[in-house]
Amino acid sequence: MPHPTNPPGFLTARIDKLASWARTRSMFPMTFGLACCAIEMMAMGTAHYDSARFGMEVFRASPRQADLMIVAGRVSQKMAPVLRQVYDQMPEPKWVVSMGACASTGGMFNNYALVQGVDQVVPVDIYVPGCPPGPTSLMHGILTLHDKIMSGEIAS
Amino acid sequence: MTARETEGVLVTIDGKEVRAPEGELLIKTAEDNGTYIPRFCWHPRLKEVGMCRMCLVDIETPGGSMMVTACTNPISDGMVVDTKNDRVKKAQEAILEYLLINHPLDCPVCDRGGECPLQDQTMSYGPGETRFVEEKRHFEKPIPISDLVLLDRERCILCARCTRFADEVPGDPLIEFKERGYGTQISIFPNQPFSSYFSGNTVQICPVGALTATPYRFRARPWDLKAVESTCPHCTAGDRISIEASQNQVLRFLGVDVDATNRGWLSDKCRFGFEYLNSEDRLTNPLARQEGGTYEEVSWGEATSIIAQRFGAIREAHGGDALAVLGGAHGTNEDAYALSVFARDVLGTKNIDCRMDDALGTRLLTGIDRRARISDVDTAGTIIVWGPDLKEEHPTLYLRVRHAVQELGANLIVIHPRATGLDDRADLKITYRPGSGSDLLTQLRGGDRDDVNALLEASPVVAFVGRTGYTEGPTMAEAVASWILELEDSRVLPLARRANVFGALDMGVAPDLEPGRIAATETGRDTRQILGGLASGDIRGLLLVGADPVRDVPDGSLATSGLSGAEFVVAIDMFHNDSTAHADVILPALGFSEKEGTVTNIEGRVQKVNRIAPGSGQSRSDWSIIADIATALGSDLGWTSEQEINDAMMARVPAYAEASWDALDWEERDGVVVPAPGADVPVYRPEMTTQPTVGAELVLHSARKLYDDGVMMRKGPSLHRLAPGGFAHLHPDDARRLGARTGSAVRLVTKRGEAELPVQVDPSLHRGVVYVPFNQPGVGPLGDDPVVRVTAVGEPD
Amino acid sequence: MGVLTELLKGLRATGSVLIETVTGKEMLTTRYPKEMREKPQRFHGRHVLNRYPDGMEKCIGCELCAGACPARCIYVRGKDNDPENPNSPGERFGFVYEINMLRCIFCGLCVEACPTEAITMTQLFEFSTTNRGDAIYTREELLMDTDGNVPHMFPDDPLADMKELLTADGWLKATAPAGNASYEGVQTWQGTPGPASWDPEPDQETRDS
Repeated sequence: MPHPTNPPGFLTARIDKLASWARTRSMFPMTFGLACCAIEMMAMGTAHYDSARFGMEVFRASPRQADLMIVAGRVSQKMAPVLRQVYDQMPEPKWVVSMGACASTGGMFNNYALVQGVDQVVPVDIYVPGCPPGPTSLMHGILTLHDKIMSGEIAS
Repeated sequence: MTARETEGVLVTIDGKEVRAPEGELLIKTAEDNGTYIPRFCWHPRLKEVGMCRMCLVDIETPGGSMMVTACTNPISDGMVVDTKNDRVKKAQEAILEYLLINHPLDCPVCDRGGECPLQDQTMSYGPGETRFVEEKRHFEKPIPISDLVLLDRERCILCARCTRFADEVPGDPLIEFKERGYGTQISIFPNQPFSSYFSGNTVQICPVGALTATPYRFRARPWDLKAVESTCPHCTAGDRISIEASQNQVLRFLGVDVDATNRGWLSDKCRFGFEYLNSEDRLTNPLARQEGGTYEEVSWGEATSIIAQRFGAIREAHGGDALAVLGGAHGTNEDAYALSVFARDVLGTKNIDCRMDDALGTRLLTGIDRRARISDVDTAGTIIVWGPDLKEEHPTLYLRVRHAVQELGANLIVIHPRATGLDDRADLKITYRPGSGSDLLTQLRGGDRDDVNALLEASPVVAFVGRTGYTEGPTMAEAVASWILELEDSRVLPLARRANVFGALDMGVAPDLEPGRIAATETGRDTRQILGGLASGDIRGLLLVGADPVRDVPDGSLATSGLSGAEFVVAIDMFHNDSTAHADVILPALGFSEKEGTVTNIEGRVQKVNRIAPGSGQSRSDWSIIADIATALGSDLGWTSEQEINDAMMARVPAYAEASWDALDWEERDGVVVPAPGADVPVYRPEMTTQPTVGAELVLHSARKLYDDGVMMRKGPSLHRLAPGGFAHLHPDDARRLGARTGSAVRLVTKRGEAELPVQVDPSLHRGVVYVPFNQPGVGPLGDDPVVRVTAVGEPD
Repeated sequence: MGVLTELLKGLRATGSVLIETVTGKEMLTTRYPKEMREKPQRFHGRHVLNRYPDGMEKCIGCELCAGACPARCIYVRGKDNDPENPNSPGERFGFVYEINMLRCIFCGLCVEACPTEAITMTQLFEFSTTNRGDAIYTREELLMDTDGNVPHMFPDDPLADMKELLTADGWLKATAPAGNASYEGVQTWQGTPGPASWDPEPDQETRDS
């Protein structure tokens, strides 16, 4: 969406789109699995679902090289600072997908040990319901994220 | 004494030998010793009937084993009982199968589903499947049998708990069985609803969902309720209740069976008087009056600084005694203590009163050493009630007195200007004209009444003393109390309204008492004098804490003139009411069930109230509002929680030293009774005074009904409809003389007000008395002067 | 030379899959979102609130689903039916019905608890949201219309698959719909949510005759 007060010209508008497109086609997710959801996340990378089709087959082992964090699983209170640190180490622009019930709201573990929603720790772009969400559900989330990136601005 | 007398008789229940007092019912002995015998009709507080047959057990007799109902058979020495053998199981299965022939399986839409004794016992003792496939019995459902109770006859299992309750406990036998056999059903009498003040109890004790309450119907299911035990906020008896809430909304109160106070029963005002908490009219933000009289929302900081600035200016210019505090009897002891300290130490005023000019002297309420306990009525030989109609104003005490007279054989003398709820059980009922009570008292004291003397021979004597109506001054009750205390082996229970008035007085929310029931060296002004001072300009600033003097002070016009004469009024309240309309700043307060603390009941029993709901909007508890105002006025009281105030309170008031939160939460769930005055506090002796007889032809008697037009009733949709409205009750002779009859209108003129009301001819009144219920919808204040002129309006048609 | 042979040997499987894929003979990858994955019959997806064939709501607001829910994600409140214009048969209907899909673990205990088969599950499982509020499905979104169509939260979403909403999970009947006791315990399937138009029990004709 063009900036309301500072509308971009013809050229920058195109670059805007181009950059967004480029971002959506080469997202590098962080290798960051917390619980059972991570199994489904890994399944998304396999040949059957093949996340390479979206240019995101490489799960990066270093946060410095990743721009997408899929919070796959329940976040315990002890894990929360670690998660935040990993998030902070990722370079901008970066996105967060909260995958599954536990990451999004705590799910059925409404207790003292778990963070009731990872959005208390990091800003979340997409919530994927499911326990766990299947690979296609996660892909739906990623595609919704693509939509969101395409309709957004390149810099905030 | 033999072992049989000290330890009871020996009974073998399922092979386990236990001892219990002879004559105790088998079902109770078994339950006390860990064997639950299923039952529907038996209730520990009702008489046994043996109607449901669910409690059949096997006992061994010389002639072989025999099936008997455990709820009707007292134990005897050497009894051998089997509650679990095959014969008993078969009987239980048969009974349940039989009950379920006609009981509908609409548990998913039944309010009882999930906490239903029939459900539970069918699961535990039932056969699992039924052999009956026939169509069940059908009735129209549900039918309202009163404004608060609905009856679903299909679900009824005819245990008679409700009919027995209505008959035995409050003495309102308004429901009964009708028809026979297959068609037997619970019914009300034609054109006579089950309008008992205690009807809600039948809903609580119904073992199925046959009786449901309209305020709770379909609001929640048992599994999404969370409960906390607390103390009833409506009357001074301190009834134990369980507050049940779901999704941060209080949805019902249930009575908790505590021997010291309510024994599980509640009046409908207590039971259903929670709806105001969820009212949409609750105040949510601090409001400040703008030019032109409108109110605007302000922040807490702004509100506090306005108050501090104005109170500070008044204190500076005219001294602390130009400020006054009214109210505080509805909150907790912690709130009251904070208020008392704030008034005395921060505002520097002695003008503080929690009584709305409708109670007795503070020293009578707190200072007598022979103050009765509620449980004293159970051992009393004679009970005297000279005060308000207990049924209307102290419903729990009414049940206790009724029980003592009916079941335990105490004598009862009731002295009141008109009929009261206890009359049918009274051995002697004396009516008199308000304003000539002294004459009657002189007669009684002089021993001129043989009927009274005869009854008084049975001791101990327990007397409930209070103001019979607002046209009779508090000195009359002092005189009555002094007469009672002259009698041998007598105790007095002084009566006062408002849930925590006794706690507030103990905390020093009174012009002549300091925290700890200590008589103040300098006496401040009481409510009447404060209102008069406001009207004359001696007092300029007023803090109202949960008080509505315009409605509550008997002389309403005095309150109105006082409040409108005040320079600056602050109200801490939950709702807009007639008095907050005069306020410059209104602060939203947390209500009952939204704060934690202790309260003190009529006998000095300190009990805990607990929090379960968060409160509306930005409302806060009284003490924290007061502490903030104090800080803004430059005196940091240093409190950060109720617990800290409780600690400070226990240190300052020695009588409360035992009543810590920990003790009340764990060891003393039924409360701690504050010791009587003696060592620390001088004992007060009420004085005998006589008053001149009021010579007017007609005198006014003005007293409350259970349901009135108070703001907490008005904001609850279920109870509000029940207020009977304003009537002028006239004695038939007076009515004839005035040319009035039931339905016609009369005009009443007193010194302090006037009203035009429909007439009700009431033969129970003493001749020459006009009774008008206090604070009913549509009735203006008539004041507290007994002289009244009555004229008929229009031609009676 | 030997190394090259070994390499080719090793790449044979890769090569054959490559050829199969390129020629389109056999495709291993499901090309979501262009093609949807076939879900098993008893797949637990998004919930739906059903109606009777006459248009009445099946939900009676009994809150048994909320009681059974291990994640406490269902919020129901009952209310008196207007006798003139009832929402559901009987005295009570569910006037608030909310499911927080982000707490839901799709275990299906609500479906099992429901005494009237009001709540069932569909196969829709792809319904990500961009905020937590959108994941709270209210009565409006859950309740099918009188024609049996189930509303989609985002009908404009190009990824919305309406077909999945009309495929019910089959765990529906534990007893015979006609109340015929001899079919008690016979489990059968209903392929679509909505007005219960039950097929005859399997082998019903032979058993009845």
